[in-house]
Amino acid sequence: MLSSYFIHLLITIGIYLVSALSLQLACGFSGMLNFGHISFFCIGAYIYGYMTIIGAPFWLCFLAASAGTALVAMVIAMLTGKLRGDYFSLTTLGFSYFVIATILNWREVTNGPLGLPGILRPDFLNNILNDDRYFLMFVLVGVILTYFFVSRLVASPLGKVMQAVRDDELAAKILGKNTYKTKIISLSISGFLVGFAGSLYAAYVMYIGPGGFYASEMLLLLCIVIFGGLASIRGTVISTMILVLLPEIMRFVSLPTTILGPGRQVLYSVLLLALIVYKPRGIDGKVELQ
Amino acid sequence: MVFQIIINSLITGSIYSLIASSFSLIYSTCKFVNLGHGAAISIGAYLLFYSLQTLHLSFPVSILVAITSSVLLGLLMNQFFYKNLRKRKVSNAILLVASFALLVLFESIIQIIFGSDIHIVELSKHVQVFQFYGAKITAVQISVLVTTLILFIILTFFFRRSKIGREMRAVADNKEVAELNGISIEKTYRTSFILGSIIAGICAIFVGLEYNISPAMGSKLIMKGFIGSIIGGIGSVPGSIIGSLLLGIAENLSVLFLPSSYKDVVVFALLLIFLLFRPQGILGIKREETEKC
Repeated sequence: MLSSYFIHLLITIGIYLVSALSLQLACGFSGMLNFGHISFFCIGAYIYGYMTIIGAPFWLCFLAASAGTALVAMVIAMLTGKLRGDYFSLTTLGFSYFVIATILNWREVTNGPLGLPGILRPDFLNNILNDDRYFLMFVLVGVILTYFFVSRLVASPLGKVMQAVRDDELAAKILGKNTYKTKIISLSISGFLVGFAGSLYAAYVMYIGPGGFYASEMLLLLCIVIFGGLASIRGTVISTMILVLLPEIMRFVSLPTTILGPGRQVLYSVLLLALIVYKPRGIDGKVELQ
Repeated sequence: MVFQIIINSLITGSIYSLIASSFSLIYSTCKFVNLGHGAAISIGAYLLFYSLQTLHLSFPVSILVAITSSVLLGLLMNQFFYKNLRKRKVSNAILLVASFALLVLFESIIQIIFGSDIHIVELSKHVQVFQFYGAKITAVQISVLVTTLILFIILTFFFRRSKIGREMRAVADNKEVAELNGISIEKTYRTSFILGSIIAGICAIFVGLEYNISPAMGSKLIMKGFIGSIIGGIGSVPGSIIGSLLLGIAENLSVLFLPSSYKDVVVFALLLIFLLFRPQGILGIKREETEKC
């Protein structure tokens, strides 16, 4: 029998994997260094949470969370698609502050700083998913679907255009590709997937507050993507497993709980800096960040 | 009421313009977005707090401690990370990610040492308050305005008249040509980091005295700083001052119509408007740099 702690870790890995694969799509395959990825995740989680609380059927909750996040991502891409890389990253970073401010203020929907309690899990087969073991299988199905979808997508003609945009936008333009449109499509798909990851998270923990979605939480996702290697799906899977499990070591050293959170951030930031200096391509990277 | 809003806008704007100009200063010479600059502000503010409250040092000594710590951190980041990365000719995106990691690293270290609570610098509780046509202004606020003004006059003369200032402008304009004329690029980068960090340290003191200090203050301030400099024209120091003043006015005016916690929403809206209609900012020149193709 799997212990509940182990199941918890596997579910966490699964949710992070979906988020990391979608970031890989935007960042590794299309060259859009999106610092607002965590806020897309947050939007997905909140849409799912709100929808279950008002009693929508669960398939609609997932669909609304994913499609809603995709829509937000599309708008962001339309607004920023013509800007240079730095500006895109900074605007998305600014967007993450905007999202937190909106959550704190839009109390009717988000319940402000108190967060949303009482989020429901999908209710099929007599609420079987309330058991974490079955929920793990549900997450696993989501992960496998995402994995194959992203693998197929990046091998498709559209995926090739995305990679061309990443490598040399001007050249792709000269070859008659609509790079602006490609970026919008790529970020929207990335948003759709991370919105789904966010709804899985909301369904799993059943309570969400603004605390877990600050810009500094981007650190782990960026770390996963760079450690796994940009544009490497296999690498992303391996690095997600390693990096999600890594801070669990700290649990066995009895550290006070107030240090656990920032200690984890120190661990990841040192690792990210070391990676950038010594191994910028990660374990299986195809390209370096442009 | 009107006077109070004008005064508040000027003070917020001055503090933001300190951040934005120091950020712009580094951006204009080194050509990358240094989010780690936020950490230099946090460290300065926390060490001011520490030396005043815990070590009970005198105020002038504490100021010195704050500015020195900001400069040391700025130099440390440049010499140990950015310099090595530049040697490998890495892209701006990698430098941006590295600076983000540095920002989170130092904020987390501050959180481990000082805890995640908000601290208030005691000194700020008993400062003199002046009445000015029905509006209140504290001695700290007056010194913010005066210091910012003096600092910008000094900066203007520094860039126009001094040899180092001219070298920095040359590197900002065209690195290759500047290097051909015998200007040491690395030395110029170092100077701009020192100068930027001094301004960050001064800003840290004002933020510590005027508001409160928390571990995440650096990232919040650096956001305001770069939004101010994008509005004004990134890379242009006078532009970033104008942009930040505008940001200060917008924030304080928004309080008239919306709850004050909506400030971040207003700020982001302003950023989007500028990115859409005038990505080069108020004073910026439209160049290859703002738009890729």
